[in-house]
Amino acid sequence: MAGHHEEHSSHAHGEHSHSDRFYWLVAGVLAVVTALEVGLFIVNEQHLIAKWLEVTLLLILSTIKGAAVVMFFMHLKGDAGIFKFVFLVPLAFATTLLLSFMVLFSGHVGIAG
Amino acid sequence: MSESSMTRPHATAAHHTSLGVDNRKLGVWAFIGSETLFFATLITTYFVFAPVNRMRPDFQDPREFLDIELTTVLASILLASSLTMVLALSASRRGDRRWFTTWLLATVGLGLAFIGGQAYEFNHLYHEGLTLSSSLFGTTFFVLTGFHGTHVAIGVIWLLSVFFKVRAYPDSPENAMDVEIAGLYWHFVDLVWVAIFVLVYLI
Amino acid sequence: MAIAERTAGTVSPPSVSVRPGWAGWLSTTDHKRIGIMYLVSAFVFFLIGGIEALLMRIQLGTPNNTFLTPDVYNQMFTMHGTTMIFLGLMPLNVGLGNYMVPLMIGARDMAFPRLNALSIWLFIFGGLMLYVSFFVGGAPNVGWFAYAPLTQKQFAPTAGVDYWIVGIGLTGVASIAGALNFIVTILNMRAPGMTLNRMPLFVWMQLIVAFILIFAFPVLTVATIQLLFDRHFGTRFFLPNLGGDAVLWQHLFWFFGHPEVYILILPTMGIISEVLPTFSRKPIFGYAFVAYSGVAIGFLGFLVWAHHMFAVGLGPLANAFFGAASFLIAVPTGVKIFNWLATMWQGSLHLTTSMLYAIGFIGMFIIGGISGITLASPPINVQQTDSYYVVAHMHYVLFGGAIQGIFAGIFYWFPKMTGRMLDERLGKWQFWLMLISFNLTFFPMHLSGNAGMPRRIYTYEAEMGWNLWNLISTIGSLLLAVAFLIFLWNVLTSIRRGPIAPADPWDGATLEWAVSSPPPVYNFAVTPRVRSRRPLWDEKYPHLHEVNGSHEAPVVRRGPLHDGFERETPEAMEPIHLPSPTYAPLIVSVGIMILGFGIIYLGDFGLIAASAMLVGLLIMAAGILSWVRISHVDSPHHAH
Repeated sequence: MAGHHEEHSSHAHGEHSHSDRFYWLVAGVLAVVTALEVGLFIVNEQHLIAKWLEVTLLLILSTIKGAAVVMFFMHLKGDAGIFKFVFLVPLAFATTLLLSFMVLFSGHVGIAG
Repeated sequence: MSESSMTRPHATAAHHTSLGVDNRKLGVWAFIGSETLFFATLITTYFVFAPVNRMRPDFQDPREFLDIELTTVLASILLASSLTMVLALSASRRGDRRWFTTWLLATVGLGLAFIGGQAYEFNHLYHEGLTLSSSLFGTTFFVLTGFHGTHVAIGVIWLLSVFFKVRAYPDSPENAMDVEIAGLYWHFVDLVWVAIFVLVYLI
Repeated sequence: MAIAERTAGTVSPPSVSVRPGWAGWLSTTDHKRIGIMYLVSAFVFFLIGGIEALLMRIQLGTPNNTFLTPDVYNQMFTMHGTTMIFLGLMPLNVGLGNYMVPLMIGARDMAFPRLNALSIWLFIFGGLMLYVSFFVGGAPNVGWFAYAPLTQKQFAPTAGVDYWIVGIGLTGVASIAGALNFIVTILNMRAPGMTLNRMPLFVWMQLIVAFILIFAFPVLTVATIQLLFDRHFGTRFFLPNLGGDAVLWQHLFWFFGHPEVYILILPTMGIISEVLPTFSRKPIFGYAFVAYSGVAIGFLGFLVWAHHMFAVGLGPLANAFFGAASFLIAVPTGVKIFNWLATMWQGSLHLTTSMLYAIGFIGMFIIGGISGITLASPPINVQQTDSYYVVAHMHYVLFGGAIQGIFAGIFYWFPKMTGRMLDERLGKWQFWLMLISFNLTFFPMHLSGNAGMPRRIYTYEAEMGWNLWNLISTIGSLLLAVAFLIFLWNVLTSIRRGPIAPADPWDGATLEWAVSSPPPVYNFAVTPRVRSRRPLWDEKYPHLHEVNGSHEAPVVRRGPLHDGFERETPEAMEPIHLPSPTYAPLIVSVGIMILGFGIIYLGDFGLIAASAMLVGLLIMAAGILSWVRISHVDSPHHAH
């Protein structure tokens, strides 16, 4: 991973370009992960593994994809801390919103959805 | 963190900022943070109604309507456009105008292809009987993916305006930042599709 | 040191020509002018909202009154709530922030001056669109919370709700754009040495509010878009008969709505955190506690939304969680109150009008806070919800609290903004009249509420036992109107004939008092260097440092105080870049407004509305083109 070395060597905010080769590599990884996701989806139409396991695996795979886009294409990795703050804090709020609404509407806390 | 600004040599006023980062880039990141909650709300609504949809007499099954092949193509198009976008930024930083033009227009093209694909998908679904009012699935699906598509369209316009601005002022030192912040927004739109792809189409 | 700092370079007068007269205002990108536009337009909306309240009070003054019809009454309480929150309190706070924040942190303008201009225009147009509804079939009549399914087409057939959606949408876009501007300005445009922990507390609170805003408003935006789709395009988000969920609307609305309460109150807490130290002649007690309790309030504010929904029947688990979280907010709020009291303790109090309002804020806010704590308890809440007790509670917080805080800020900063002093004698008359009539209006509502009087009823029977309290409330509200007339008179006369304000009339501690009143277009000829939380006090009273045992070195500022230091620095430093005036933001806003009208009628008059939308988009495009051009011309690189 040539790109990694390059990144560590340059500390200036916002100017740490990776090499183009590195971006192609990331895109390759994204393609492979997407293929894995779709493959898992198609294969498990035969119900080979439990649904909860499939969902968990899919969520893990797509988290990897999303993290790669944010860290490398959006260069959040190694960029100034304030960018992480203004993106990750609302992301945490968004996750809280999603999870708390799913709990509130799940029928487990007193009302049915 | 802002201590550094005390010792910074005095360049033009616009250059020294308290955090040492570009104003517009910070603004766009904060805007992306805000947009995260916008899409989170739409996705939340989708999930709140997914089990209700299943219990309704007019239940429409997402798995019957959604075409995994078309969706995979659409997802690949957007992921590819993220690659071309970051390559355009890279070229712009090197000052390589020819490759910058190529990669940026490729991004625009892929964005248009995505919009076209989504238009085809919507049209197809509509003829299959899935509409805004046919079921809770239709209601939540079209509003969620439709607003994502709108964001792609805005992204295309943003990229085109950057393209023409760079053409009009090729020597402006702001060009790389113009490309970078348009790219941030573009990658974010791609990121939302990564989420929609798994949450709506696969799960 | 100070001298050394002002030796470099020569002054270059700002390269900006302000257009004269109206054109100057329509094309302005100056944060000070935009701040004044916010304050004036918000105050006009505020007066209209007040008139709506007066009409309601007249209707309720006596039982079985027929002064307003039920439908008009519904429109009044909807528009009163919507106006006061979105078009009154919020923009009043934004206006003060817009004017003061760059000055307080030593900046020349906001980070994005053109975006700032876009915000003010979108706010004004959003407010006007809301009021257009009165003339095209009736204002919205579903409450500011717009509960589903009352908002659906069959129950609310007029376009009022659509105007509510689009009007709120425009002001929402304005608010988000404004909040992004505040975030970048405050984080990134501070003068050298102005670390986060040296920022004035008003700036701190504006920063917190800006973050709350960008997290909370998108949720409202989505909910209103879904409502619009329900009304016009056949969706069923909030239609229970088709599987939709009316309670979902409540959750989404209050997920936004409760943080919104802190959007209204936190800036005013910031104001009084500036006013109290100045007029107690003491630094704020526990600066860090005041700042970080604000952060805690902002964070907790996102976890308590369902306490607006205890009567829905969410179940004991949810009620217990949201009740407990709501109690928790009392802790950081209490921390703030004790800090303010400790700031005044043993201070030499100067009871100016501004200070009176700040003290009034503390008193009334405590009453509202205590009734709030009772409401946070689910079993008590179920008894009191939708009664006048809640009306009393929220007016103690938002009127006794926020409005008095804003008046503290206006009396404090009016000299800075206009160069004239407000009349203190009239101000004190206004304060006492307002304090008495405010309590006369709203305290009886606790009692009528506990006697069972529900909110949002247009009249009541004589034998309900509510007559006396309602009559007192109505008399109080009329006296309140007199207090506002006194203020209006005070402003109109002072702005012409008031005593000329010096640069630093109150012997303030923060940077805005270092420049002349009103400040020059470019704010600071020389970017100030900050070495403590109280830059001006440290310079005026260097011995205070030894007394207070501060380890921070005093600020070095150039020039004597009352002369305004920009004149004392004839050979100033960097070239001053100011944004050029431009009509682009105004043009874009007009385009967005036309687009909004198109959206309202798209469901009913497809073709005409679609062409209106197209026209709107074209105007927007034209505006954006000229925006891009001017921003290129203005870019610092271009100038070299």
